[in-house]
Amino acid sequence: MKSGLQSEVFEGFASAARSISNPELEKWKGGGGKVLGYTCSFVPEELIVAAGLMPFRIRGTGSLTAESANEYFEAANVCSFIRHTFDQVLQGRYDFLDGAVIGGGCDANRHIYDNWQKSPVKPQFLETIFFPHASGEPMALEFRGQLAGLKTKIEQHFGAEITDEKLRSAVRLCNETRSLQRDLYALRQSANPPITGGETVEVMVAGSSMPKERYNTMLRTLLEELRGATVPERKIGARIMIVGPGHDDTSMCDIVEELGGLVAADLTCFGGKVIFGSVQEEGPDPLQAIADYQVLARPFCPKNLGAHPHIQKELLDQVRALRVDGVIGQSFLCCNMWGGELYILHKELKEAGIPMLRLEREYVSGSSGQLQTRVQAFLETISGGGSC
Amino acid sequence: MLNAFSQLMAQSGKGLFELTVNPQNESTTPVILCNGDFMAEIPVALGCEFSDLTLTGAMGTALPEGADLIDGGIELGVESRMCNAIKSACYYLESGKIRTPEMIITTNACCDSMDTLANLMNAYEPWAHVPRFIMDAPHTLDEESYAYFGRQLREAVTFFEGVLGRKMDWDRLREVCVESNKQSQLLLEFQELKKAVPCPAEPDLARQGTELSRWIKHRVSPEVTRWLEEVVRLTEQRVKEGKGIDGVDEKVRFLWQDLAGSWSTGTVLARLQKELGAVCVMDYVSYATWTPIDLASEEKMFASFAKRFLLEAAMTRQALHSTDLFIGDILRIVKEFRCDAVIMPAHVGHRDTNSRLKLVRDVCRENGIPCLVLGIDIWDKRFISPDVVFDRMSTFFQQTGLIAS
Ligand code: SF4
Ligand code: SF4
Repeated sequence: MKSGLQSEVFEGFASAARSISNPELEKWKGGGGKVLGYTCSFVPEELIVAAGLMPFRIRGTGSLTAESANEYFEAANVCSFIRHTFDQVLQGRYDFLDGAVIGGGCDANRHIYDNWQKSPVKPQFLETIFFPHASGEPMALEFRGQLAGLKTKIEQHFGAEITDEKLRSAVRLCNETRSLQRDLYALRQSANPPITGGETVEVMVAGSSMPKERYNTMLRTLLEELRGATVPERKIGARIMIVGPGHDDTSMCDIVEELGGLVAADLTCFGGKVIFGSVQEEGPDPLQAIADYQVLARPFCPKNLGAHPHIQKELLDQVRALRVDGVIGQSFLCCNMWGGELYILHKELKEAGIPMLRLEREYVSGSSGQLQTRVQAFLETISGGGSC
Repeated sequence: MLNAFSQLMAQSGKGLFELTVNPQNESTTPVILCNGDFMAEIPVALGCEFSDLTLTGAMGTALPEGADLIDGGIELGVESRMCNAIKSACYYLESGKIRTPEMIITTNACCDSMDTLANLMNAYEPWAHVPRFIMDAPHTLDEESYAYFGRQLREAVTFFEGVLGRKMDWDRLREVCVESNKQSQLLLEFQELKKAVPCPAEPDLARQGTELSRWIKHRVSPEVTRWLEEVVRLTEQRVKEGKGIDGVDEKVRFLWQDLAGSWSTGTVLARLQKELGAVCVMDYVSYATWTPIDLASEEKMFASFAKRFLLEAAMTRQALHSTDLFIGDILRIVKEFRCDAVIMPAHVGHRDTNSRLKLVRDVCRENGIPCLVLGIDIWDKRFISPDVVFDRMSTFFQQTGLIAS
């Protein structure tokens, strides 16, 4: 299914999502701007923006074999998202970065730090922060401490002073991004939305790949275009929600949408999870506000042991609000975190009478025949009212 | 010597199963169930039983029905390549075989698989009514981290008190800590004695000692102290007499840089020792770094609990922290225990170890230490059989010239 979207601004997003570098990033670098990479959605972009740097979320786009990374991460036992991402690092595709912050989530992600540090492509600035694995005031306070440490290191290395005022302004900017992205998601509530799930993924991935102000401007334009667009009449089959880790490609959406369905919502690390809520803009301590947002407001990662009830609630809320017919839980092989979470969700959704398909896949599996067959069978089951 | 000592181990292991894998268990002693390790001293002082579901799953894989437990876990479909100790634990849980605990404690220590188990425990519907407490184990190792985790352990005590309706007897806790410190000291003494060439005692006694002292039924009991005293006494005597392990002509000393798991000790390691004189002088459960629990104040006591928990418990030391710590341990052990080689079992379930193999290989190469990476499943010998592992290791020892062809 295609939305028929014809937009220059969308093409800008799509090209940013389909490759690692992109014209907006190059323009920023060309103007002397610095870029700080990061690996997990819990690394707050606000802190990077406040230092006058451009945040870039590191991903494995374009990788085909992960051969070099497999020397560092055992291929059969470590998630392919990590391996392909690190392979791109080793191939020099991230040489444009002026530094990186590894957000230590799962075991594999944490070790990007150790491996990168000892690799021939080690950047001059390489740091790590650890997201707390439980939610509560003490954890938010602890995370604030880590952010304060990172702030000092960024200031020292990049010669930037990160004042509270700069932090507040970065918070406003990033909140605006989230708010615009929520508006984009809201457009898919309609029966015949002007944008597909696959196209939405590209707009979201672009969000962590180009300067924020520029992105917000472009996204405002796209939203205007979409609101005024005449959407061709088409028959949409099942409305699907995708849940799982950081899928930064459109392959699953493409499968669903080519089969006539619509990906109406998602709770993934490049999508629905990053647009949830906003950081408090008022208050005496912006760093604590950022920590509270990350630790208390959106604990949607199963590496946080208190996350499940939040994931479950958010998922059910969206299933109801967006009239979702079925849920696809996709994770990568060797991802214990999401493997377990999807197992639990599957049991619970079954009891709630909501069809769910669980898939374990490789990062680079494209639209493999087996995935297509399973999704097709799932969509047919939903349409036929059968149980899964 | 080994057989006599193993009896306590066998009894104690059985005790853990009786406590945990028995929904009909009628004992009225409250049970605290954790997904992984916890500070044994606290439940003991509170007069509670404590069980660790990961350890239960891991020990389950050694039972005659071990393969069925693993297969049951695989059929659940949690994550196809997850550690089989955890799959077996998940199977125990999801098939209703675990006694309902009075309290549940979950932490992220130490690995992704254990977190998955924690999530399953917390979402397990029949236990929805059981009070629970979640802790965040940091990946950092400094005084601040110990204080942070120590505060959570202190909070956990308040939580237990609330559920039990009675207060912690602090004198009793101190008493238990004194016993625990004695045991740690004995483990360290035994470790020192094992540095002798030839290795004076069955190396696996160190693993048994650690498990007995901290993890299974008789934890922190005076019985374990006596057991350890006897091990140390007899080993000291053997060192004085210059004796090695009975019936072993020691030719090679190696480090098995992982847990022994459920099948390697009695098969591969025993055969290597007996047939080739290749002695596994250290593994990652036996490696003791215990520091005494500081009883000077409540705050110090909890900070030292935290240090033990975060830094000194085997799987946590291995999986929760940086590669620098892991590699530092390898170099230290090789030097102090005069190892000729490092064997990296590289258990397929360890996401952490499988993310650092190149760095380990590089360091070993730089330091001239022969290193063999196996890639086995320490809980399931069907993955790569003991015979194949034995052959690979003996070929490696021969090819590196450590043992004559
Ligand atoms: S997909 Fe899972 S294993 Fe891979 S990086 Fe994300 S959380 Fe880690
Ligand atoms: S530390 Fe290793 S052996 Fe222990 S539960 Fe985790 S993956 Fe399994």
